[in-house]
Amino acid sequence: MRLVTTEEERDLAATLRGLLATHCPPSLVRALREPGGERFPDRLWTELVGAEVLALPFAEDVGGAGGTLDDVAVLFAEAGRALCPTVVASTLFLGLAVDALGDEEQRHRVLPALARGELRGSTALASPYDAAVVRPTLLAQPVSDGVEVSGRVDFVSDADLADLVLLTARLASYGDTGRRVALLVDPGADGVTLTPLPTSDGDRLAALTLDRVVLPPAAVLLGPDRAGLADDALRRVALTQRALQCVDMVGGGEAVVERTVAHTRGREQFGRPIASFQAAQHLVADMHIALQAARLSARSAVFWLGRGRRGVRETAVAVMHAAAAYRRITLDAHQLHGGMGYVVETDLHLWSERARRLGVDGGGPDVAAAWLEEEIGLG
Amino acid sequence: MDFELDAGQQAWREEVRAFLRENVTDALRRELAEHDLEKRDGELAAFRRKIGEKGWFGLNWPVEYGGLGLGPVHQHLLVSEFEYWGVPGPDLTVTSVAPMIMRHGTERNKAEFLPPIARGEMVCAVGYSEPGAGTDLASLRTRAVLEGSPEDGVWVINGSKIWNSGAQRATHEWLCVRTDPDAPKHQGISVIIVPVDAPGVTIRPLIAWSGYRTNEAFFDDVRVPATNLIGEVDQGWRYITGALDLERGALTNAGDLRRGVDDLVELARTPRRDGTVPAHDPVVRRRIAALDADVEAATLMGFEAASLLAEGTIPSVQVSTEKVFTSELRQRIAEVALDLLGPDGLLAHGCAAAPAGGRFERLYRTAPLLRFGAGTNEVLRDVIAQRGHAMPSYGR
Repeated sequence: MRLVTTEEERDLAATLRGLLATHCPPSLVRALREPGGERFPDRLWTELVGAEVLALPFAEDVGGAGGTLDDVAVLFAEAGRALCPTVVASTLFLGLAVDALGDEEQRHRVLPALARGELRGSTALASPYDAAVVRPTLLAQPVSDGVEVSGRVDFVSDADLADLVLLTARLASYGDTGRRVALLVDPGADGVTLTPLPTSDGDRLAALTLDRVVLPPAAVLLGPDRAGLADDALRRVALTQRALQCVDMVGGGEAVVERTVAHTRGREQFGRPIASFQAAQHLVADMHIALQAARLSARSAVFWLGRGRRGVRETAVAVMHAAAAYRRITLDAHQLHGGMGYVVETDLHLWSERARRLGVDGGGPDVAAAWLEEEIGLG
Repeated sequence: MDFELDAGQQAWREEVRAFLRENVTDALRRELAEHDLEKRDGELAAFRRKIGEKGWFGLNWPVEYGGLGLGPVHQHLLVSEFEYWGVPGPDLTVTSVAPMIMRHGTERNKAEFLPPIARGEMVCAVGYSEPGAGTDLASLRTRAVLEGSPEDGVWVINGSKIWNSGAQRATHEWLCVRTDPDAPKHQGISVIIVPVDAPGVTIRPLIAWSGYRTNEAFFDDVRVPATNLIGEVDQGWRYITGALDLERGALTNAGDLRRGVDDLVELARTPRRDGTVPAHDPVVRRRIAALDADVEAATLMGFEAASLLAEGTIPSVQVSTEKVFTSELRQRIAEVALDLLGPDGLLAHGCAAAPAGGRFERLYRTAPLLRFGAGTNEVLRDVIAQRGHAMPSYGR
């Protein structure tokens, strides 16, 4: 046990921070959320691919860089700090899901292209209300040339930018109680309707409606021995996403604290910087304390998920801290900025929107507390 | 960041647990419940001797000072286990005073004081606060005047201290005194070791709400050898702020909090006197889950502070954060316990009918201490903002 940032982690973080500072300024973040505007960060994507960001956690035999899930956490912290467009996380989530759930052929087909930045994607593996609920909403049945699938999946992130979305379905046929399977679906395919679900943070969420969409066998992830995917296996992937989102929230929270402190040091009232008032200092101290709890618990969750634990308890703790901390920090940051943080031209609201979205995606502190109650024997 | 105990750390924790399983006897528990550290030559004294025989009082000290040469992580793991079991382990003399002597003491200080501390023969009470110098500690006025030379002269000490905990059992005072009244207030302070049995020292008990005994100490023309001065004259402020960070680090271990929430889960599933089961109420379950998440974070904060200490830094912002977080969490645990138990939670500590032996009833009374003690949480929030985020001092 050694809870100190290693030199490798520091180097990786510094490289990514520099890259994102240059190629992912708030002006880009703002432009990407304009209704009807360009949604894909072309130049940033090229830079990230060049830095092997999309190859980071995958093995070298599938074109990956051979990193670990802990390395991905370093990336998510920096991505959260810079508000890196979510298509990067969504695509990595697709890669991690295929890596964990796909067979050799599927891994070798999807991951090299994804690592090269040529394949963008997203996933919807669990309920958007509760990442521990992996009961599929889609129904599939075998047909002569694969499976036919129908149903609706809500709140899919970046589906409009995705070449492939990994969805789950119950594959049932006569006399078969139904296996859980994952499906690689092209959102542009016949029978797929994409309905944008606009938020005040832009058009990055969509509902996907599938009407008798036929997929070839190669697009179906059946799990070991074709017996279907175990709930635990699906849940581990969904919780890994949630834990990484917690790290994103911590990175964002750190950026907000820094911006807020800088504002209070520069802003003078009553002849002194407002940073010198104890009330302001104690708000910042409470941000710091909440962030420390969030940072450690989020990294712990990623660490243990990366080492094979079920991770329910660890992820619950991470969500309870990170989601609550990020939201509180952004709201208190607005308070300390006053009007200067309320107008959109100072960008603070961009973090506040991310805090709101990531706070509830897959379940916020209340949902996570229910997981934890089960884990400690109070379920 | 590596969150997994390595083989050596795991083996160490097992060794500590095995020791506690063997030596935390019912008799010891009874004595702790009854006397709360007050009885001489009883079960607790015997227990402390066994800890001394293991060499654990000096476990994190260098071998040259009679220690085991193990690091802060080992100490942290040991203290966590002791707290989980609810028994006293290495005290501030070992965890805070001795490291400061090693860091700042003269060669003579080290030779004179470290071996008896390691043997458990020298126990210090910490003499910082005064009636007029609490949170504003640097305004302390207890005066020490040197008669003769720094080599073979005598310090003459006059003044008084308050919150002088443990003085009734201590052999010495680790005393903070003013040696230059004309210097700016942080610069004229020194630390002097004073034997408690020196003529002119008077100890008067003060009993706290929790039943905890602390003391006032009075010093009237107390004379100690000039060589009892720790390190250099007028440098004491630097020494004691370091010691206070170590003290906070040692005081803010989450072992007792883990035990508190584990016990709370058990109590929630146990019928109260009216037969109702608290855990049937979803609000109770939710509140306990929130505490559990906080204890997990507190545990990680402790690991982080120990890791940073092992790297050779005194992480004052980290320990301040940890101290604020754990002390307020301790109070929340006591509050949830009170609400969950209802009137059962009023039954006094030591009363046979009290749930969990009344430990939550007493926790409600002990928890305020660590919130204002060892640096009030308000001052520590200032520390976090000012040292952690370079916000300006407002003249404190």
